[in-house]
Amino acid sequence: MAKHSIIDPVDRIEGHLRVEMEVENGVVTDAWVSGGLFRGLELIAEGRDPYDAAMLAQRVCGVCPVSHCHTSVFAAEEAYGIQIPEGGRLVRNLIEGAQFMHSHILWFYQLSALDYVNPLHALEADINKTYALCETLGLAQTDFAALKDRLAKFAQNGQYSWLSGGWFMDGLAPEAYKLPAEVDLIATAHYIEAIDMQATADEISAIIGGKMPHVQTSIPGGTAWYPSVEKLDDILFRATKLKEWVDNVMIPDAIAIASVYLNDVATIGNNKHGNFMAYGVFDRPSRELDDRFFPAGIVRMGSGAPVLEQFDGAYITEGTTHAYYKDSGEPLHPTVGVTELPEKFPGYYKDAAAEIVNDKYTWSKAPRYDGEPMEVGPLARVLVSYMSGNPEIVAGVNAVLTGLKLPVDASSVMALNSALGRLAARPIEASAVAGYMIDWCGELVELLGLIEAGAVEGNPWFAERVRDTGLGEGFWEAPRGALYHTETLAGNTITHYQEVVPTTWNISPRDEHGVPGTIEQGLIGTPVANIEAPINALRIVHGYDPCVACAVHIVEPKTGREFKMHTSPWGGR
Amino acid sequence: MQDSFIESLESRGLTRRAFLGFCGTIAAAIGIEGVTAADVAEAIESNSLIGTNGGLGEGALAPVIWMELGSCTGCTESFAQADNPDPATLILEYLALNYAETLSAAAGYSLEEAREETIEAAKGKYVVVIEGAVMTRYDGEILRIAGAPTCAPHESHLLHTCKDAAVVIAAGSCAVDGGFCAAYPNPGDAEGIQKYLKDNGVSTPVVNLPSCPVNPANLVAVIVQYLLLGPESVVAGLNEFNMPAAMYGETIHDNCERRGHFENGEFVYEFGSEEEAKGYCLYALGCKGPQTKANCPQVRWNRRVSWCVASGAPCIGCCNGDPRTTVRNWIDVDSPFLGRLKTLRLGDIAFQPTPVALGVTGLLTAALVVHGIGMKATGRTKGGAPFEKEREWDVKHGKKEPSTVPVVEEQVVVDFEEGK
Repeated sequence: MAKHSIIDPVDRIEGHLRVEMEVENGVVTDAWVSGGLFRGLELIAEGRDPYDAAMLAQRVCGVCPVSHCHTSVFAAEEAYGIQIPEGGRLVRNLIEGAQFMHSHILWFYQLSALDYVNPLHALEADINKTYALCETLGLAQTDFAALKDRLAKFAQNGQYSWLSGGWFMDGLAPEAYKLPAEVDLIATAHYIEAIDMQATADEISAIIGGKMPHVQTSIPGGTAWYPSVEKLDDILFRATKLKEWVDNVMIPDAIAIASVYLNDVATIGNNKHGNFMAYGVFDRPSRELDDRFFPAGIVRMGSGAPVLEQFDGAYITEGTTHAYYKDSGEPLHPTVGVTELPEKFPGYYKDAAAEIVNDKYTWSKAPRYDGEPMEVGPLARVLVSYMSGNPEIVAGVNAVLTGLKLPVDASSVMALNSALGRLAARPIEASAVAGYMIDWCGELVELLGLIEAGAVEGNPWFAERVRDTGLGEGFWEAPRGALYHTETLAGNTITHYQEVVPTTWNISPRDEHGVPGTIEQGLIGTPVANIEAPINALRIVHGYDPCVACAVHIVEPKTGREFKMHTSPWGGR
Repeated sequence: MQDSFIESLESRGLTRRAFLGFCGTIAAAIGIEGVTAADVAEAIESNSLIGTNGGLGEGALAPVIWMELGSCTGCTESFAQADNPDPATLILEYLALNYAETLSAAAGYSLEEAREETIEAAKGKYVVVIEGAVMTRYDGEILRIAGAPTCAPHESHLLHTCKDAAVVIAAGSCAVDGGFCAAYPNPGDAEGIQKYLKDNGVSTPVVNLPSCPVNPANLVAVIVQYLLLGPESVVAGLNEFNMPAAMYGETIHDNCERRGHFENGEFVYEFGSEEEAKGYCLYALGCKGPQTKANCPQVRWNRRVSWCVASGAPCIGCCNGDPRTTVRNWIDVDSPFLGRLKTLRLGDIAFQPTPVALGVTGLLTAALVVHGIGMKATGRTKGGAPFEKEREWDVKHGKKEPSTVPVVEEQVVVDFEEGK
């Protein structure tokens, strides 16, 4: 008989998400992913001006505020009929790059690693073996003995702090944690280093934007930040440090962890529909979506080899059939989209005792591209860039495949439609982005030289609007995927504002035809050994890095079983 | 420092050097001229509470429950940007961060279990950090966590968790008064934690730390103060808004690094201009520094590398707020962010404050009067700054107030009765 396995809250994500799965004979047969929170930022933006909207839009997500800000200002600039100057373009690329570095590092270590790494198991590591292993893996070394002592002291105290109730503990899913103790120790050391590295990336955002999260200088018309050679030097120093760390620590870690878990992660999380979409990010002088450093495009992996198609924003629609909102009827293009709250909350369950989920079960709408669900995110971007021949991404993917002892061919690329692909995509991207940032710093120094020499006409950073009425759309990428904002302006006042955020694509509910969303499809077929700690499901969901702040919690089941004290907040007492 | 004092520090694994570093964190956050790390150290040393660790006794980590409500996760992100002590040291050596949706290893039921166990085992001795706004629409159904409406009235996860806490820290403007979530038309009926607790009869003291996101320097300073001196010490330093008076006592304008340019009448009129390259004052672009009380210029952001004004952005007043109500959230009080003469929006009405001439320009005075902030009686603005140039600039650029709500051209006096 089918049983329900629920993870609520799904943690180590941004925002509030619930995952409910029907499990039959140890395999997921159906899934409902539910976004737990509605804030209504689109409604708040209406009646305000585009500058204010750009500041508000960032508050959609404290992890990727820069992307929301940029997408909002792109929409404003189209409505204003302007293109920003070259200096503005370079500064925006640089601050966006810093946010990508921050987000990818934070995801890999703080949000995802604890699904694979057991920091308490690191106590069993042999220090000499650990150093030898670092040597083999080509990893930078640190004082592992001191870290082991620090962890031992922590564990002896018995208060497990943020590790309380971790699924590596007895009674949950300890058998799913397979790293040798030495690798656990190395990864824990890097977990701690990563806290400093993500903060280093955020320092770049703050130098340009004043503070991070929520930067202040990316504004409709360009940038409010006026660079100097000294400030660019401060940024270059940090970008170089990040590039070295990603190449010497994060990528080898990804290969080491993925090698041990290869049979687990390569066999779960296939999204079934095989559709991947990117709008592209990091503008080149042409400002064309297809020409971006990571370009726009659609990759389809049905049967046979992956195929690259051109992206066209006109095919996007959003439906509300299974979302708590008032039904908008036919799915609508977001430029005419409607977000209308119901009079009464419809309820999550139709029948709570029988665990029958309601027809309407989430605050997330159902976006579709030409009627089909799409996966967006780092993997989608990497696949589109790979198929488009981006040299840094091609080299990065091939190096990881080689590191995992997989053949460099179409079948291995197809195999990336899995939890493995999502684990590998972020380090590959981070390395490329850090390299671009170093180049952009150089280009900005050159530009400052030209300004000094009087060779630049007009304001190099900021353009005034030429009209204040019109419709604008912004296509861009947040670290976790394709991001879209649209605004309609009348007399510089916003009369209509809609956003389609990356996580909405991934946590989408069923559409009007009953076709489940991307994560829902990805969960079906997943083996669940213990419905009280469905670790494979958690790994799949974390692979998408849902940002439900933008748009969903995994729910453990209510089996009525009394949980043993896995941990006491008071240690031994 | 006395040897016995150092011993007591060391018994908790705190070296003298680390201790002085923490004192520096507090001194920086207090931001009073002349107060140094050594002064803070002396004050703590002479106060024999050291090592009480929030009343827990030696050795134990202080239990913390971090609840995320209607938020953007930006305040957790901001916490991750702290230093001295850094987040890793905090969660390994000082705090038992038993429940934190963005960081915890646990998920689902085992995470909820960790919260329950903490409440049970540490009654009256744990800290709750609230991130995000209390979302009350549909009796709280608008925010469901762990299968239940988290902010329901009368009985909820949230009330249950806060009831037995030693202190509740409202981290960031959303937790203080709803913040951006409560901005007009406040679609989710967002409100601050202090109001929610009071309306539901919970009397746990609340420490409000507004700004968007919370400034990690302030959050960590409050946590360190709690660890070293206990909850009473934290509560004793609060102003009438339950904000630490030392952090929220002076305006940004008072301590701004660009202040000298304000006095000289040197303003930036266009982003990316030569004036910006020279670091002139951003008042003409709508900077809210004169009406916003916070210590940003002193503690700065992101391990002190910069802050908004230093990077060329006018302050948008994200530290403004009033924990007793939702209609004075910073978005509605401060927007349009580029506008100088303010249109204030209080719920469904918008109005423009009547400019009052008080020797300085009406423009500036109005902003100051409305926010109840007197210019310091230094006479620094006597004679007024040359604002005519900006007005000409405004006329040329057709600057106007964006608002779809009818504007009432008179002063509206709004009373905020305690508790409403």
